[in-house]
Amino acid sequence: MRWPRLDPITRRRLQRFRRIRRGYYALVILLAAMVLAVFAPYLAESRAIAVWYRGTLYLPTFQYYPMRTFGQAPPAGWDSADIEADYYRLQREWGTERILYARGHSAAGADPAALAALAAKYPDRDDYVVMPPIPWNPYQSDFWANEILNDIQQALDAGHRDDAEWLALRDGLGELAAAIRSGRIDTLLAAGKGHPKRTLGDLARTGAMVSLAGLGTSPPNAPDLRRRHYLGTDSQGRDVAARLLYGFRISIFFALFLVLTGQVIGTIVGSLQGYLGGRFDLVSQRLIEVLIAVPFLYVVIVIAALFQPTFWLLIAILSLFQWIAITFFMRTEMYREKTREYCLAAKSYGASHFRIVFRHLLPNCLTPLVTFTPFAVVGAIFALTGLDYLGYGLPAPTPSWGELIGQALQASNRDKLWLTLAPFGALTITLVLVVFIGESVREAFDPKPYARYE
Amino acid sequence: MTAADEAPLLVAENVYKHYPVRGGVWGRSVGAIRAVDGVSLAVAPQRTLGLVGESGCGKSTLGRTLMRLETPTRGTVMFEGRDLARARGDELQRLRREIQMVFQDPYSSLNPRMTIGEIVREPLVVHAIGSRTEQARRVLELLGTVGLDASTIDRYPSEFSGGQRQRIGVARALALGPRLVVADEPVSALDVSVRGQVLNLMLRLQRELGLAFIFISHDLSVVAHMCDTVAVMYLGRIVEEAPVEILFARPAHPYTRALLAAIPSLDPRRRTGAVPLEGEVPSPIEALAGCPFAPRCAWVTAACREDVPALEPVETSAHRAACIRRAEVAAAPLPVSGAPPRAPGASP
Repeated sequence: MRWPRLDPITRRRLQRFRRIRRGYYALVILLAAMVLAVFAPYLAESRAIAVWYRGTLYLPTFQYYPMRTFGQAPPAGWDSADIEADYYRLQREWGTERILYARGHSAAGADPAALAALAAKYPDRDDYVVMPPIPWNPYQSDFWANEILNDIQQALDAGHRDDAEWLALRDGLGELAAAIRSGRIDTLLAAGKGHPKRTLGDLARTGAMVSLAGLGTSPPNAPDLRRRHYLGTDSQGRDVAARLLYGFRISIFFALFLVLTGQVIGTIVGSLQGYLGGRFDLVSQRLIEVLIAVPFLYVVIVIAALFQPTFWLLIAILSLFQWIAITFFMRTEMYREKTREYCLAAKSYGASHFRIVFRHLLPNCLTPLVTFTPFAVVGAIFALTGLDYLGYGLPAPTPSWGELIGQALQASNRDKLWLTLAPFGALTITLVLVVFIGESVREAFDPKPYARYE
Repeated sequence: MTAADEAPLLVAENVYKHYPVRGGVWGRSVGAIRAVDGVSLAVAPQRTLGLVGESGCGKSTLGRTLMRLETPTRGTVMFEGRDLARARGDELQRLRREIQMVFQDPYSSLNPRMTIGEIVREPLVVHAIGSRTEQARRVLELLGTVGLDASTIDRYPSEFSGGQRQRIGVARALALGPRLVVADEPVSALDVSVRGQVLNLMLRLQRELGLAFIFISHDLSVVAHMCDTVAVMYLGRIVEEAPVEILFARPAHPYTRALLAAIPSLDPRRRTGAVPLEGEVPSPIEALAGCPFAPRCAWVTAACREDVPALEPVETSAHRAACIRRAEVAAAPLPVSGAPPRAPGASP
């Protein structure tokens, strides 16, 4: 098929844009990131992508399954029908069953009775859970250190060594599991100075056992690959990577929606100002000047105080100010373009004003629109991040970069570097990508190399 | 048969186009640029009326006013009895089909973002004439008429030379099947080598389609080639109007004489040695007492500075001039005798 009919100017600009590698690859990366963000539930979600359980395939990403479905034991005091399955725990439990079954299998040799008992003991050894790469959703708090250490401690205190080892294995604490199995844990726990008996929590805090290091403290927790918190957790135990991803999803689409509405309104207003000129231009220009004088942050703060800000409300408020900048450029472009003779020609055969503006003139006035839009996107992302940081943005617990930066800058979190680096890094990378795109677009649309104003 | 024998296609009477000059704090109107100052003219069917004059004399504004691209401040423009100057809505749209325009600058008169096919089809779309396929057929036909290949339809204006672009402009003007075409300096932006082609194309179209032209130009040799009747404009007014042969042979206004004398010639025997016009064109904002040409005129008398002379017949009713000494001027020998100069590229 032939290229869709692009006029030669546009075609040349696209070619030039493609030739500017930096901008082109930035665009590719950003578009890929946006596509990934659309599929975020497959990247960061506490629900499994797929579960193979006793011969049946489940796809729980957009479907609720209670714990009972997979024979999972609920926490004390709950019914297994009322709580959603904990897929990440299922994955670890079934993985542990496979390890223990394999170990038992080699111990049992060829004894059929022992093999049958082993098979009955580990019924889920052939069941599988496929988790997203980040097995956390952005809202879920993970106080994992406490849970794990308490569970194992209880099992040890009750003398259930096998259970304790099983739990340690389940949660990826291989060294602890080996210590429990070999009995070395007793010497470690008994080596307290002045204390009759130490706990696993003490071992974690003192670093006496390397595999426990970092556990036993309250969130925010440092990045830990065993628990698949690649960027650690925030002060409420929520996974930073998951929140970054969903925060990206919200801010980029927020910015695109905002810029879209703003540019559409601004283009229409600016075009009409330039095309109609005269009194309409004069009056609307004064109104715009009044609007510019309104400090937009205060307006947002006042409105955020009156209403609970939502995604669409924030877009509406920010759109009030977003459309202004582009009107200036569209206005001057129209003033220039409407004096050219093709506009006169369109008038002479009776084309309507609407047709002249939008079919004839606008396509020739798009340069400022296209070149300013990427920078407007940068501004919009920054605006949302700033509002979130100040607390006037999207309401908690919406995942947001601004809120993460806010946490990172709290006095108690100053030493938690992952909290600072992750959102700032994400913000920097995104904005740099968009600026690269914007600069390349501007360069590609630069009229100098082939301008001809006869 | 002369133009006067037929019922005219377009009659303009006492057309004024003034642009307000604003000043002061509140932008009050403090004066007016009198771009067109009481022009009356008539165009006969299938004839060509030339409008000549130097830059800024109001000939383009007059052309645009006759096209109703500008609304006249005063006066009427009747097209076959319908008042173009006051028409609105549907009636204006219907009148627009009858009068089309060819523009001066072939580079800015074609939208660079539209293909040739779209440009030529656009008037048909605006007037909702025919189905898509009928429009496509008409576009091909029009391109053929102006001598362009059918393959040009999907290409863009930037791929064409000035002469080709002007042909496209002509095709667009013909799309609605007008009976009058206003050509505003259609060749002055073109290379001399392609001027003749475009002019001969217009003459051929006039013969084949029975078009009337209003041909605006500052180039007298082109006017001589194209026009049946010529109106000379000076400062918003018509100062002389005559059939082309008479105008070139017996100009009755000193300004026309000066224009004719200014035609350059390569032939040394035809060099005139005439003194070019001196002085500046007076400001169109101030209303002058007396003849507006008086400050620059070689024939000036005291009486010239009293009243604005009206267009009055010289010898025949077809030849009129706005000069109180028109009879003397017409009788005076021209610095050069002979036929009007030939247009460049015109076939002998």
